[in-house]
Amino acid sequence: MNGSSLPKEIADNLINALKLGDKEAAVIATQHALDQGIKPLSLVQEVIVPTLTEVGKRFEDLDIFLPELIAAGEAGNACTALIEQAILKSGSQMQSEGTVVIGTVKGDIHDIGKNIVTSLLKAHGYKVIDLGRDIPAARFIDEAEANHADVIAASALMSITRAGCRDVADLLRDRGLKDKYLFIVGGGSITQEYSDEICANGFSETGSGAVELVKSLMVNKRGA
Amino acid sequence: MYSNDRLLEIFQRSRSGKYMKEVEFDLLLARRVQELVKEYNITFDPNNVCPADDGMADRVFEAGLKLFMDVGAYHLDTERVIKFSREEILEALRKAPDTLHLGEGRDMVIARHRNIEDPNPPLNLTGPAGQPCSEEHYLELMISYAQEPYVHAIESGATLTYNGYDIVAGTLMEVKAVQRDAATAREAIRRVGKPGMHIGDAATGMTAIGKMAASEPINLLRPCDGRLVAQMCEMKVNDDQLIRVPHLINYGSHIINLMTPLTGGIGGGPAGVAVVSVAETLLGVVCYFATYHYLSITHIKWTNNSDPWGMYVLAMTGQAMARNTHIVWTDDPFCVNGAGTLENLYEVAGHAIIGAVCGYQQHGVGSTGGNIVDHHTGLEAGWQGEVGIATTLSGITREKANEIALKLLPLYKDTFNNPKLGQPFHELYNTQTITPKQEWQDCYRRAKETLSKLGLTFTHGPYD
Repeated sequence: MNGSSLPKEIADNLINALKLGDKEAAVIATQHALDQGIKPLSLVQEVIVPTLTEVGKRFEDLDIFLPELIAAGEAGNACTALIEQAILKSGSQMQSEGTVVIGTVKGDIHDIGKNIVTSLLKAHGYKVIDLGRDIPAARFIDEAEANHADVIAASALMSITRAGCRDVADLLRDRGLKDKYLFIVGGGSITQEYSDEICANGFSETGSGAVELVKSLMVNKRGA
Repeated sequence: MYSNDRLLEIFQRSRSGKYMKEVEFDLLLARRVQELVKEYNITFDPNNVCPADDGMADRVFEAGLKLFMDVGAYHLDTERVIKFSREEILEALRKAPDTLHLGEGRDMVIARHRNIEDPNPPLNLTGPAGQPCSEEHYLELMISYAQEPYVHAIESGATLTYNGYDIVAGTLMEVKAVQRDAATAREAIRRVGKPGMHIGDAATGMTAIGKMAASEPINLLRPCDGRLVAQMCEMKVNDDQLIRVPHLINYGSHIINLMTPLTGGIGGGPAGVAVVSVAETLLGVVCYFATYHYLSITHIKWTNNSDPWGMYVLAMTGQAMARNTHIVWTDDPFCVNGAGTLENLYEVAGHAIIGAVCGYQQHGVGSTGGNIVDHHTGLEAGWQGEVGIATTLSGITREKANEIALKLLPLYKDTFNNPKLGQPFHELYNTQTITPKQEWQDCYRRAKETLSKLGLTFTHGPYD
């Protein structure tokens, strides 16, 4: 890790565990690092986020497959949970790039694409509330409200289920929350044209594109 | 075990099997697949996408059987694992049909189990295959499939709207749309003079309610037609899918086990996905009482199967099932390119040749990765049937199929990252006469010329 302020051995142990998707080893490495007095935020910013970003890139290039991406994400989650506890114990608060509430819309049970986006967003330092599949419009919004989210992301693979995205958009408008959240859509049945039609804030065809979309929308939102 | 007993047993096990979070199941499955790939020495060589290796085919079958026994099926609603013993799986397999009567009257076709390099040509059970369709041109589109001379059955597409309104799954709109689309499919086969033709599904239906709403023999789907019961990636079932099974058994209808194993997904690379595909077929035999099976291999990035990984999975899974079972099953070419492009026809051809020599009947075709509305037509579906027949009549072996597929690959592989989307149906066809326009017919003739040079002998085709 170029420019890292962490001792190399400590960083390497965690990097290797994350890359291998070895949750147990990653948690032990994280605990060891915290015990050595490493700042929790340094672990997140200098090790976990860049390593998971690299894993995400390798998946996009198909150097690795979905199980490796999922396993690394799971290991990263476990480490982050441990770090969050340490931060809370110190009286501080965990910082994230933003909070995203994500799910597949009502009637759609196809969630591989949503899972990939979830893993990649986490890898880039976002807090992701994954609601799972077959989620009614109201629940997206209720969870966004409860978690003080920045972004609501709805996925629909099948053409017959994509109307669920419109339901979320309509409900955001009808509850007067349209300007409070960034609403993005994706999945096999969604096109830019459809995204525009339902007045979503953005659309992406790919997992990495979704991350870039969230990043740019968040920059605009914070700059606004 | 009588069918009802097995269904009840499945229900009980879905409530009493081992509890497991979904991600744990995914990672367990992934790990076991990789162990079995190594244990059974299943290898992938990109220069040999259609291996002529009976020993490896048998090992793929054994590994798939072991995977299903060891890992089981995951029930998404109860988060429990449903497991079966080797004896139970093999008993269900023994009882699965080897011969099917699809459709009725003089348009009925008999689909049999096919062997490797089978001298009997494959049937082409095709249609929009769940691709998105506009309601505006839906009848004409369905006619374009049904009228093709090398098409033996159609399956409806997934329409997007009903009278201009979005169709919402699980609501009365889904039921209305399914009933309209099933009736449209019946109208299409009547219009082309094949009223008894088999209709494989009403794909607009996403939920059990939608699928079941198509069961009405006079105007909608008859017992001689079928409905898809799908698995979720990988090896996952839920109550909504299982509900369809007793309904379809009682209706006397065909049950089609739809599998969409992802290359690059939980199964990993092509060797692992071949093992997963066998396991998913067995799952469909046991849990879904499938009369026939529908393998739709899907690349995780491009949503096609015309790449070397997809071709290998097609070849090895097909040979494994052809040699070790008597079931009837189908595969579909999913292409990155759209109708109206020569590349689409090459993608279809490579897949059709391997499928024809590896024991499949035909399904599909999917164009633009199944993503773009109406970018699919009857022509490329008929072309698949024609290539399948030419492959069989030309005595193409697995070795020759590999050679042809690898010669076709350079003609389209550069489009994987930048597909040619082609044109929509209404621009490629005269929608009054429902005939392909000149440019689309020209593509067909050019593709046929290329395939003839590569060793296929064609009989008379519709656009020669």
